[in-house]
Amino acid sequence: MLSKFNYVKPETLEDAIEFLASNPGTRVLAGGTDLMVLLRRNLLIIDHILDIKGIEGLDRLEYKEGEGLYIGAAVLVNEVFESGIIQEKYRALSQAAGHLASHQLRNRATLVGNICNASPGADLSTPLLVYNAMVHIQGPEGKREIPIEHFFTGVKRNALKPGEIVTAVTIPDMKEGDSSYYKKQARVKGHDLATVGMTIRRTAEKETFVAVAAVSPTPIRLHELEKDLKNRTFTEETALWLKDEVKKHVFPITDVRSSMEYRFLASGALAKKIMTAMMEEGVE
Amino acid sequence: MCSTEKVTGKNIEKCIEYTESGLPKITIRFEVNGDQFEKHVDPTMTLLQLLHHELKLFGTKEGCGEGECGACSIIMNGKAVNSCLVLAAEVDGAVLLTVEGLGRGNELSILQQEFIKYDALQCGFCTPGMLMSARSLLDRNPEPDDDEIKEAIEGNFCRCTGYVPIIAAVRSAAKREREELK
Repeated sequence: MLSKFNYVKPETLEDAIEFLASNPGTRVLAGGTDLMVLLRRNLLIIDHILDIKGIEGLDRLEYKEGEGLYIGAAVLVNEVFESGIIQEKYRALSQAAGHLASHQLRNRATLVGNICNASPGADLSTPLLVYNAMVHIQGPEGKREIPIEHFFTGVKRNALKPGEIVTAVTIPDMKEGDSSYYKKQARVKGHDLATVGMTIRRTAEKETFVAVAAVSPTPIRLHELEKDLKNRTFTEETALWLKDEVKKHVFPITDVRSSMEYRFLASGALAKKIMTAMMEEGVE
Repeated sequence: MCSTEKVTGKNIEKCIEYTESGLPKITIRFEVNGDQFEKHVDPTMTLLQLLHHELKLFGTKEGCGEGECGACSIIMNGKAVNSCLVLAAEVDGAVLLTVEGLGRGNELSILQQEFIKYDALQCGFCTPGMLMSARSLLDRNPEPDDDEIKEAIEGNFCRCTGYVPIIAAVRSAAKREREELK
């Protein structure tokens, strides 16, 4: 049996925030795929669970031309994976969503929950980082928005203050010729956590974005590398150069899933594979 | 337990059931395999425990209890989910399908028949979860290829038979369903 807690399901965001602010021992429940495991193992003792799935509007998944993509806090990972517009415009996000855990977990887990959990290896973090996604937060002091890059503050730590919840993630619209690709290195294909996760994005103007997960305390953008890549054409030589260069920008550790040495190697190999795959699609 | 509460100046008698640890129980209404239920549950109860303890439906299995193995897979509102990771309180208003709801009376479903025909089970502990993941796949894709079958059962572990006969059974069931259930 799980430890003792109460269950509340407010219908409005205002009620939810008021409850959160006045009951510090509360955890927000969206999909529960991370939370329920912590509760079962008694790693987390709480007084209340606040289920946000009854709040109107949080299940909104919408694309508007010129504005971009809106993903509400209750939108499922499988909804992101199956969305036609995301496959077309934000392919790396769709790829990453399809690689997250198993079909059953993707039917419960939410995109916002994946980033709030703030695992160093969060599958959906690297596409959101390369797209410069914004995290929409609401709390007792009102609304605020922060770039996804500033949302991750440490291992399993995020920028939320007490009483605050993430209501949505938004991604700017992508222009014609914008290409992005996600790959995940894991011990087995299918249901497994990432040993390394990586996304590369290249705009028509050759502006390049690289983000990587599971090789530092938080998912990170590799800004120095990005500047270098802007002035290079995607070729076989560049891919080989990138394979070695990436290793200078990551900070992996040894853990249950792999050694530090392996993560260095896998980061390089993954970067080369992604660049090669993008070149095959005509990205220069 | 009944208590009198003051609500907007009036004394209203409220009857609330409490758990052993003193928490108010949650009232949920839901459908399982076509039957309607109303239950008052402990807020910490999982959906899997609800099936086992309240409804006495033991077909759904508990393996890891953490969403890794898929033995507890059921279909909730048309989607395959791990019932160990869902709170009973969350199923208010939901429509559920468990392994007990696949066949009709004593007649097994095509999917179940094909699992037997292809020896797609040995100890049988993963079978209810495998069946529910496969059911969910065939509902959304009546003509899956082998890669799609593998992807659909990637969250279901089998530790004895192996996956080859299971994939063959799902492939064959898909074909039979297309032919026989038009």
